[in-house]
Amino acid sequence: MEQSEVMERVVKILTPWAKNPDALESVGMDTNILEDLKVNSARLVDVVIAFEDDFDIEIADEDVDTVNTVGDAVRLILSKKG
Amino acid sequence: MVDSTDAGRGRAARRHALQGALARLTAPVWVPLGALWLRYGRGYAIEGVRASRALYRRVWEESSAPLLVCANHLTLVDSMLVAWALAGPAAHVVRFRELPWNIPEARNFAATLWTRIATYLLKCIPIERGGRREDVAGVLKRVGHLLARGETALLFPEGGRSRSGRVEVDSAAWGVGRIIAAAPGCRVLCVYLRGEKQETWSNLPARGDRFHVSVECIEPKSHHRGVRRSRDLARQVVGQLQRMERRYLGASQ
Repeated sequence: MEQSEVMERVVKILTPWAKNPDALESVGMDTNILEDLKVNSARLVDVVIAFEDDFDIEIADEDVDTVNTVGDAVRLILSKKG
Repeated sequence: MVDSTDAGRGRAARRHALQGALARLTAPVWVPLGALWLRYGRGYAIEGVRASRALYRRVWEESSAPLLVCANHLTLVDSMLVAWALAGPAAHVVRFRELPWNIPEARNFAATLWTRIATYLLKCIPIERGGRREDVAGVLKRVGHLLARGETALLFPEGGRSRSGRVEVDSAAWGVGRIIAAAPGCRVLCVYLRGEKQETWSNLPARGDRFHVSVECIEPKSHHRGVRRSRDLARQVVGQLQRMERRYLGASQ
């Protein structure tokens, strides 16, 4: 699976949770999910479960500790997809 | 950054033990002062406190399985009120292990040097809600560590004071579920506490308010895995608090 495809799907999943739509227009690998996109930290788990469903992967609690940016999420998904 | 090496864990355990020892040393001063402030400074009283304290004692006597205390959250002094509802000041000083560690929001309670010192001595582990994932994970690990040592912590599983004034299952903070998932056989003491004058959320309850408390112990289980399991466990806890709230509101109408 290509990184660009994962990125596109990750941004699509994040879109309904992002309270800062302006940041979505310039979203990149370094965009911080909580600080830039203003995703509610309590809802991050719902985002991660949406990643699981969309990419058919399983994500452990500890994996989420490494996810601060969109790029972190993309890299995590790519590592899970092998 | 969380240091997950053996040396890192050893340092964290020593830091935790030092904070616990200093908090215990100063507890004969701050525990009674806190209770006096609640009772006479603010004029608060808790209905049903005898039953809640008896149940809390029984929960400790019945089993040595990990115990987490989870409560609804409406004001900034809820942790003090919950501790007061679970045991009297003398009991907390004598059985200091049973006084729950508190996990306050760092921005509210540990923003300055003085408040950081105070929270350190008051058995608190500040957390920055929405902070760096590694930092939040470090606090969750520390709570897991203290549960494994036979201590307990108080968490507000809604993640913050309820803006609606009602327990909201959708607000369940999955970190609570993560702690439960990592502590096999973990029991959760659900505490529903509310002042008669408390309509929604606030910094302090109204002066002279009369609180009602109910306490129930559950052992959440989930057949899910990974983050889904943590979310499921957290929702079970908040769901229990919501049922307790419905009973309270039903009885008070």
